Amino acid sequence: MVVIGLGSPFLTDDSVGPRVIRALADYNLPDVRLVEAHAGGLLLLEELAGTTRAVIVDALLDPRRSPGELVWADCGAATHNAACSHDCTLPEALAIGRAMGLSLPEDGDIRILGIVARDVATFGEALTGEVARVLPMACQCICDHLVEAV
Amino acid sequence: MKQRITIDPITRLEGHGRIEIFLDDAGDVTSAYFQVPELRGFESFCVGRHAEEMPNITNRICGICPEAHHMAAIKAVEAAFGVECLPAAQRIRELIYMAFFVADHTTHFYCLGGPDFIVGPDAPAAERNMLGVIRKVGLDVGRQVIDARRRNHELIKRLGGRGVHLCGAVPGGWAVPVAREQQAEFRRWAGENVEFARFSLKMFDDIVLQDRTYGDLVFSDLYCHATHNMGTVDETMAPSLYGGRIRVVDTAGVQVACYDPADYLDHVAERVEPWSYMKFPYLKKFGWHGFVDGQESGVYHATPLSRLNVADRMGTPLAQAEFERMYDAFNARGKGAGGRNLPISHRLATHWARLVELLHAAERMCELLDHSDICDPAVRQTVAPRAGVGVGSVEAPRGTLTHHYETDERGVLTRVNMIVGTTNNNAAISLSIMKAARGLIRGGKVTDGILNRIEMAFRLYDPCCSCATHALGKAPLELLVRHDGSGELLDRIARS
Repeated sequence: MVVIGLGSPFLTDDSVGPRVIRALADYNLPDVRLVEAHAGGLLLLEELAGTTRAVIVDALLDPRRSPGELVWADCGAATHNAACSHDCTLPEALAIGRAMGLSLPEDGDIRILGIVARDVATFGEALTGEVARVLPMACQCICDHLVEAV
Repeated sequence: MKQRITIDPITRLEGHGRIEIFLDDAGDVTSAYFQVPELRGFESFCVGRHAEEMPNITNRICGICPEAHHMAAIKAVEAAFGVECLPAAQRIRELIYMAFFVADHTTHFYCLGGPDFIVGPDAPAAERNMLGVIRKVGLDVGRQVIDARRRNHELIKRLGGRGVHLCGAVPGGWAVPVAREQQAEFRRWAGENVEFARFSLKMFDDIVLQDRTYGDLVFSDLYCHATHNMGTVDETMAPSLYGGRIRVVDTAGVQVACYDPADYLDHVAERVEPWSYMKFPYLKKFGWHGFVDGQESGVYHATPLSRLNVADRMGTPLAQAEFERMYDAFNARGKGAGGRNLPISHRLATHWARLVELLHAAERMCELLDHSDICDPAVRQTVAPRAGVGVGSVEAPRGTLTHHYETDERGVLTRVNMIVGTTNNNAAISLSIMKAARGLIRGGKVTDGILNRIEMAFRLYDPCCSCATHALGKAPLELLVRHDGSGELLDRIARS
C-alpha cells in the first residue's frame, strides 16, 4: 500500500497533500509507504509500480463545495496535480504502465482523497483555516480506508 | 474581416500559457503571440530566507526541473558566501545532473515532441501521446523509456536523498559520497543510457529523417528563422550543461560574447510587456527592436539547438559523431566564419539536438563514474555565511538558468532574481509561432491539423510556464483565433 500526498509546500492549501503525509508519519501505519510528490503523470506511475493499493491525497478546487470538505473519488476523476503536462494524465500513465506489463493496482484500488481548498495560488506555507481544521480528519479518513481495504 | 486565433489549452505543456493568432480581413495571419497570464512573485517570497534554504525552496518551482533549480541555487549560494565546491561533490552534482538530463530529454522526445513525428502531426490529438508512440513502434520501446526514466530517477534518489525534489546540495559540497558498492551499478546504468540514446537517435533517423513527409518538415522553411544563440561551454568550447562560460553566437555563427555567468546583466536585459507576466530577455549588444528575428534583433534562443550552435565540438566521442552528422545534414559543418559551423535555424532540429545532448549526458555519466576519485568521501566542508552577491548558472533542459542572490552578513537573502530556461526563449517562441502560422493559415482556413502544426513550433521549445513565471503548480492553456481589430473570438481550441 502506498499513500501519496500531491502538491506544493509553498502554495497555501496546495500543500495539504504533503502535510497529510507528514502527519500520517506519526500514525505508525504498518506496511504503508508514505510519499510526498509534486508532479503527476509518469512520476506517479513510478510510485504506484509494485503496489496493489494506493491512496492519492490532493487539494481540490470545486466551487460547488466548501473549503475543507473531504471528497473521495476514483482515479478516473483524478485531480489536476495528478496529471503532468510534460508527459501525461494519471489514467494515461496507468494505461502505459499496464501495456508495459508493470505490476500496478487495479483502477478500483486507487482512491483519490480530495480536500477542497480555498487558495492554491498565493505563496505561503500556512493552510487556510478551514483546510487546517480538517487535517486530522483527513488522516483519520485514510486510516479508516486502510482498515476497510484490508 | 480580421480574425484572432487563440490556443487554449496547449496540450502537453507545463504551466499556464496561451497562444493568440490574429487574422486580417482576408483571413491571413497578421501577428501571433505566446502569452502567459499567470502570477509571479517567487523572488519576493524568497527574500528574508536563509540563502542555504534556496536549493530546497526553488526546486519546488516546478516538478519537472527541480534538479536544475537545485544546482543553480547552490552555486549562487556558494558564490555569495565565497566558497568553492569540493571536487568530489562537484562530480556527484554533475553525475546527478546528467542523469536528470537523460530522464528529462527522454520524456520530452517520447511523450511530447516525438508523437508529432512518430504518430503524425495530423493524427487525432488523443493519439499523439506516448501510448500512440507505443502502438506505432512497439511495446519494447515503451519499456525502454520507462526503464530509462526509472533507473535515472533511482540514481537521483539514492544520491540526492529524494526522488523528485532532491535535497543533497549543501554549501561547498554534497550530503553524501558515492558508496563503492553503488559505483558498479550506476556505471551499468550509465552504459544502458548510452545504448538507449543511440537507439533513440537511430529511431529518429529511421522514422523522421528517412520519412519524406516528416523529414521535409524538419528541413522546411516553415519552421526556420534566425535568432542569435546562447549556451554554456567549457574551456574547449564544448557544451557544458552543469556550468561554464556563457557563449553567444550571432545568426551567422560568429561569437559576439563569452562571459562569466556572474556578468549576465552586462549582456542581457529584460523587457516587460503589459500583456504577459513572462519577461522578454534580449541581448544588450543588439537592443530590443520588437518581435523581429534576424541579425539586427536582440532576440536569442537558449535551447538544445542553440547549445549545439554555440559549440565548436562535443565533449564526448559518440555525441561528437552525431553532432557532425547533424551539421552535415544541414550542409552547415565548417561552413561559417573561421571554419565554425553555421548555426542551424530550422527549429524542429531542436528535437534532434535534444537527442545528441541525451547521448552526451549518458557518455558523461560514464566518464564521471570511471573517475578514480568518484567515491572520494571528502564531500563536505564548514562554510560561514556572509554578506555577498552570488550568481549560479546551469543549462536547464529548456535553456540557460540563472539564479542571482544578494545576502546580508547573516546569510539572509535581501534580493533574488532568476532568469529561467523558458524565459530566454519567450520572444523566440512568439516568432516561431508567427512564422508557422503565416505559412499555414490562408484565407481564414484553420483545421485541427493546422493548429497542431502551429503548436509544434511552440512545443519544440518544451516551454515550462510554471518555471518561467515562477508560479508553482500547473494550470490550463489555450489557443484562440481572434479578429485583429475587434478582438472577436472566432475559434478556440481547448484540449485537456
